[in-house]
Amino acid sequence: MSETQLRTPFPQRAHAALGDAHLQEALTIATTKFIGLRKESFAGYPAGEALRDRARAIKEATLQRLDQHLERLADNIERLGGHVHWAATGDEARDIILRLCRDRGVRMAVKSKSMATEEIDLNEALEAAGVKPVETDLGEYIIQLAHEKPSHIIAPAIHKTKGQVADLFSKELGGRFEADPEVLTAVARKELRQKFLEADMGITGANFAVAETGTIVLVTNEGNGRMVTSLPRIHVAVMGMEKVIPTMTDLMIFLSILARSATGQKLSSYTTLVRGPRQPGEVEGPEELHLILMDNGRMRQVAGTLREALYCLRCGACLNVCPVYRQIGGHAYGYTYPGPIGILLTAMLEGTGAVKDLAHASSLCGACKDVCPVRIDIPRMLVELREQVDREKIAPWGERMLFGLARRAMASSALFRLGARLGRLAQRPFVRNGRLQGLPFFFGQWTRTRDLPPVAARTFSERWKDLERP
Amino acid sequence: MTTRAEFLSGLRREMAKTRGLFEARTAERPPDADLVFETVKRQMAERWPQALERFQAEFERVAGVFHRVVRAIAREKQASRVLSWHPDALGLDLRQSLGGEGLSVTLAPDDDPDGEARRLHREAAAEAEIGVTGTDWALAETGTLILVSGRGRPRSTSLLPTTHVAVFDRHQLLESLEQVGSMLEALHADPARRMSGAVINFITGPSRTADIELTLTRGVHGPKGVHAIFVEGR
Repeated sequence: MSETQLRTPFPQRAHAALGDAHLQEALTIATTKFIGLRKESFAGYPAGEALRDRARAIKEATLQRLDQHLERLADNIERLGGHVHWAATGDEARDIILRLCRDRGVRMAVKSKSMATEEIDLNEALEAAGVKPVETDLGEYIIQLAHEKPSHIIAPAIHKTKGQVADLFSKELGGRFEADPEVLTAVARKELRQKFLEADMGITGANFAVAETGTIVLVTNEGNGRMVTSLPRIHVAVMGMEKVIPTMTDLMIFLSILARSATGQKLSSYTTLVRGPRQPGEVEGPEELHLILMDNGRMRQVAGTLREALYCLRCGACLNVCPVYRQIGGHAYGYTYPGPIGILLTAMLEGTGAVKDLAHASSLCGACKDVCPVRIDIPRMLVELREQVDREKIAPWGERMLFGLARRAMASSALFRLGARLGRLAQRPFVRNGRLQGLPFFFGQWTRTRDLPPVAARTFSERWKDLERP
Repeated sequence: MTTRAEFLSGLRREMAKTRGLFEARTAERPPDADLVFETVKRQMAERWPQALERFQAEFERVAGVFHRVVRAIAREKQASRVLSWHPDALGLDLRQSLGGEGLSVTLAPDDDPDGEARRLHREAAAEAEIGVTGTDWALAETGTLILVSGRGRPRSTSLLPTTHVAVFDRHQLLESLEQVGSMLEALHADPARRMSGAVINFITGPSRTADIELTLTRGVHGPKGVHAIFVEGR
């Protein structure tokens, strides 16, 4: 997201997205399809519900001993000949990679899809240091050529048509390509195959890391995760510290629900378990393996209100079902992680101030919690964030005062009755056809796009009294 | 730079602040990896025919092509360059069975390769049209081929060629991800069975993407086609 876009307030970004007819259509088609695939997949998998409970318990249990699991993971990776780096901030993670590039004479780095490297704006930093970063996930490759950011965690380029991709490839790669996904995929295959063979460094994220065996786990459909970890001479994996899980037995439970939640597949095409750099006797594989364990705001949530957001597997299921995401898409959120979970992760990484508007970009309908493979209670945390925005005086003065008054009125029955009476009087000029419409001042925000039910002529307790008389 | 000690003591400070957590447990691991390994082997010695049927159905569902071949490998279509795992790792020497049929067969080295050997192998892998590998486990539940890399069994044989052919027999069949978990626990626990390479790949169908307008397209970076050959009577 560019600086200019971020300076645009969220309501304007959302409004612009709502006016983009093409984006609206693409979002509807994509999210509806993903919802259907996920639903079908779990419908044919009766064990799925219990596995989700187990997966949730594993995440919680792991968090309760996170220090020990991280130590175990680091020990095992080092035992296998890998290097472990500890990064308190995104800046530090970037510096570690840049230093490696400098020391090892790296000129080109191929990347497989990774939200953790998006989170730290790694590509910009690499370019500034004279290292060419090449995204190799097809969707990521497309948006890198277009100088954009991903709009969906697992389908980064859903906002682009095949016509737009054909024009982009023709312009950037030289040639004239037909607007046919088959043709365009073949073009990317050829172009990127060469990059895989030339690159000095492969950069990945990590879907999981198994502490007990020192294994980094990558899940992809295209096979780029395999390329990146097989061909270049250095492999660097960047991982949020919460991604560690204890054992292979635990891993199987996560694998059984991850792809089902994301794309409706039983397993993604490739699950790659990487255990150290190239071992003796192997003809391929990197000479060096580096794992960067990143805090970047996560640690303070271990005991914070967003603790549960540390369970997240980054499957994207909550985006697809969110009535807000389905309307505005990923870019309007303005940060690396979009959608309901994205609001929580943005608060985690950027601080509560970053989500003063976003915390309200949810109807609290609970659909996200229903589909989350580890049943993260996203609505609860959104409400807590809203409260925090108010308590920490991040919300505008007027808003805080109004909600303060509302709180007091609701806590006292006398004030509540008085409020209802005043409301009944004040609303008179705005009630048309039994609906409240076109309110003045900033109240108008509420009625601009919808009508509200008016305050009833008699309160419930007044009517109740009537009913009690025989 | 943050050191391990600083990072972990910071984490412990935060962890100490947590309270009122519900009791949660990680997954129960097999108590004795060896015992489970043997039990699964024994179960599958009886149940492999059902598992094979399930594997075929699931494998075909993910666009794999299933073959049943007695003693020999069927020759692939019009391809001329074949790259194969080393005969010791594959259990077959393809030079003998395919060499006479106008196909050039390159074998992966199984000694300790030097820089030149690595370069040559990479060239052969990049040009090969068919890559032939063995299979460590064939998972029936999802139609998945599981391959462990190592000496004579390069990780790219199943990745760089346009077509991947995996050979397996009844000894490799497993029913569930849970069994795979047990086998992986055993593989990492027992030094005698310790893997020689660094990578284990779960392969479920060909390389695929839906990144352009959600249109399913095969062969993005990896193979466009995956074939499994079940060898009977081995």
